[in-house]
Amino acid sequence: MREVAIVSRKFAVENSHTLSVAQAHGAYKTLEKLHTLAPLEIIEIIKESGLRGKGGGGAPAGAKWALMPQESERPSFVVINCDESEPGTFKDRQIITKDPHLLIEGILITCYAVKAKHAYVYIRGEYAQYQDVLQGAVDEAYVAGILGEVDVTLHRGAGAYICGEKSALLESLEGKRGHPRLKPKQPEPEWYFGNPTLVNNVETIASVPFIMEHGAAAYRAYGTEKSPGTLLFAMSGHVEKPGVYEAEFGVSMMDYINHYGGGMKNGKKLKAVIPGGASTGVMTAAEADNVQLDYESLRSMGLSLGTGGMIVMDEDTCMVSVLKNLLEFYHEESCGQCTPCREGTGWVDKLVGKILDKRGSSEDIDKLLEVAETMNGKTICVFAPAVSAVIVSFLSRFRDEFEAAL
Amino acid sequence: MSEMIEIIVDDKTYRAEEGSLLIDLLIREEIKVPYFCYHESLGADGNCRMCMVEIAGQKRPQIACDTLVKSGMEVNSKSTKIEKVHTDILELELINHPVDCPTCDQAGECSLQDLYMDYGLHDAKVTIVDKVKHDKKVDLGSNVMLDQERCVLCARCTRFTDKITHTHELGIIGRGDEAKVSTMPGRKLDNPYAMNVVDLCPVGALTSKDFRFHQRVWFLQSAESICHGCAKGCNIYIDHNKMKYQDDVIYRFRPRRNDAVNGFYICDEGRLSYKELETNRLESMLYDGVVVDEHEAIAQYKSLLTQYQGRVSVVIDANLYSEEIEAIVAYAERIGAKVFAPLECYNDPSFADDMLKSAQRAANYGAIVKMGLETNMPSDAGLIINFNHPTHFNAEAEIHFSTHKQESNALLLPMAAFSENSGSLINEVGLEQWCEKAVEKNSPAPTVLSWLEKVEG
Repeated sequence: MREVAIVSRKFAVENSHTLSVAQAHGAYKTLEKLHTLAPLEIIEIIKESGLRGKGGGGAPAGAKWALMPQESERPSFVVINCDESEPGTFKDRQIITKDPHLLIEGILITCYAVKAKHAYVYIRGEYAQYQDVLQGAVDEAYVAGILGEVDVTLHRGAGAYICGEKSALLESLEGKRGHPRLKPKQPEPEWYFGNPTLVNNVETIASVPFIMEHGAAAYRAYGTEKSPGTLLFAMSGHVEKPGVYEAEFGVSMMDYINHYGGGMKNGKKLKAVIPGGASTGVMTAAEADNVQLDYESLRSMGLSLGTGGMIVMDEDTCMVSVLKNLLEFYHEESCGQCTPCREGTGWVDKLVGKILDKRGSSEDIDKLLEVAETMNGKTICVFAPAVSAVIVSFLSRFRDEFEAAL
Repeated sequence: MSEMIEIIVDDKTYRAEEGSLLIDLLIREEIKVPYFCYHESLGADGNCRMCMVEIAGQKRPQIACDTLVKSGMEVNSKSTKIEKVHTDILELELINHPVDCPTCDQAGECSLQDLYMDYGLHDAKVTIVDKVKHDKKVDLGSNVMLDQERCVLCARCTRFTDKITHTHELGIIGRGDEAKVSTMPGRKLDNPYAMNVVDLCPVGALTSKDFRFHQRVWFLQSAESICHGCAKGCNIYIDHNKMKYQDDVIYRFRPRRNDAVNGFYICDEGRLSYKELETNRLESMLYDGVVVDEHEAIAQYKSLLTQYQGRVSVVIDANLYSEEIEAIVAYAERIGAKVFAPLECYNDPSFADDMLKSAQRAANYGAIVKMGLETNMPSDAGLIINFNHPTHFNAEAEIHFSTHKQESNALLLPMAAFSENSGSLINEVGLEQWCEKAVEKNSPAPTVLSWLEKVEG
């Protein structure tokens, strides 16, 4: 397996969150080069690099940047999505604690490209201690004069999972209840108080300095044709060495788990993997044996790569209780705006609870799938469709376990 | 204005403005579409997900309230697939609903009930016994009671306080199926239009403290009328009922949509002004504080008229119907009396706002102005014949046609209130509107016109 460290290059360096150490290891070097390029040239480089959003959706970043107006009477904003709340996902917090200056450098490049003077970092409410590290780095950058022309403001959320959805995030940032907005009819930027706004994930922006420094081709040298570059893949669950390890797209899942994770914990057999955060569905051990870690491979299985945060489960795992655990989370975190999600998440949670308590009947399994179908594709955001896909992925692969629990 | 284009709904062609909302067309053309959250004055919020339709070329069903009409669009609102979507979402809406219709005041005018009759009518698949519990009796203020369990979270009420009154008292708190409507901490629902949220609420979550438990809505009859609270001319329904062995009674006023005047709303003061029609009414003829019969009253009337011949002034209330005012003016001419319609007393700037409330608190203000009647106070009055004007006038003698009881030694003659008679009104901007007769009392007081016939007969 080819080792690569684009975003994680300073992770092993001691005190890399301080400006002096970061600068000694090359931080902010690209800023000199920045002003030799026009904003549109930078957007072109990002497009060429094939950089994709690393918050779960995998949408091309360059195309999103290009939606931002270069001429606008209203101010433009950049918002960094650090509301990392997807169960199984804990990569962005590595960046803001181990290399916050890489993020700030990425923010400065992004702001220059989309002509924004102010960036907000929206941080998950529970990340208070990590926010302190990032705030320290921001303060240092202000003192050094790196920030000032461009402002960076950190904003802590109040702990709602849905605020990771970009339009709910912006509602929350505007001081309102975090409800996803109705989607626009044509491609357009996001809007923060009616101003054109770019919302990108932490890791996406942290990947930008490398592309600026080495060029689009250097980034494309990693990964696959359609999923270029790297991702801070992560593992949790029944592996020997859970953690965050950067790898290029397209590596084999089992190679990754064995190489970085040190294989299964206590020599147990693998049973199932949730590939990229709770909402990406579940796959069997046999499927995991043959899958590459890139967006297209996962999609072709009816799953998704998400954030690349794998949850690895061994042979002793009860899949009914895993699904119950996930559905409890969705039941708690549905924002409650759309009827199918608000009422559906509660219903499926209670149905699986019933099966887990051995009070279920085979009708309950059919009902579960029926409710999942109703929840799919009928809501404002993708929360309910994701829950629906999770249920379908569990029942299509592990139905016998659910039936055995009746 | 955008271009008019053609679209097809259920194989029929309709014309609509390009870029307008599909749901507006469906509502206008009376094509059945279920919805809770959409409201023409509040716009689309897209949260109830009920108004789904199929659109040719779109993989998934779309909500009509967030679909803009495009030329050549083909919409299917009735396919088996889309009916199933409606049924399924409605079922979800019902899983935590208490289904306490027998004790719910909204029963009979509830969207949830209506839609269940259209799309439900199935045995519940839900076997959950532990429905989510919330407060069932929250006094929000301003006569509005909240039952959080019945709420479908359509957010019409919160959007009303955000977008219409801009008072922001209401919000939704909590997530998922724990979400509920609430007032902001330390606040009450408190604005002059607050009770409109009761009409906006599609279900029994918000009910009127003033109306609830007094009458089942299916017993009520509605008459189209105009509020008499001020000169704005807000269109209302008078909801009334005559129960067996009892009198015909008004239970409530409700706003009646008129985009040229009041839109969808009325103010709370106007809404509650029905009470005045039911309290302190003058029921008998009185002279010098003593009850007299009609024969004696008319004899006294004629005697006073003869006694003060040449020194008679007629005073007209600016709330009477135009037809009544015209008849009084003609009558005054016949008996050689001067006519006054003093307007000063109706002027109340403290009542006015920039929404619906006018400083001129007389329903037929426009007619008095249009007819060019004398609006000063009567002077040199021997006898004043007062047709329900609220001012007390100094005169040697007074005949007072009145809807309500008065402290007076005058000849007091009871007359019908506007709800007991029909007629037209002209509002402050000159718009003429018609009021239906609503109430038929067991012993009705004579109208102005029948009084004039009696005293001239």
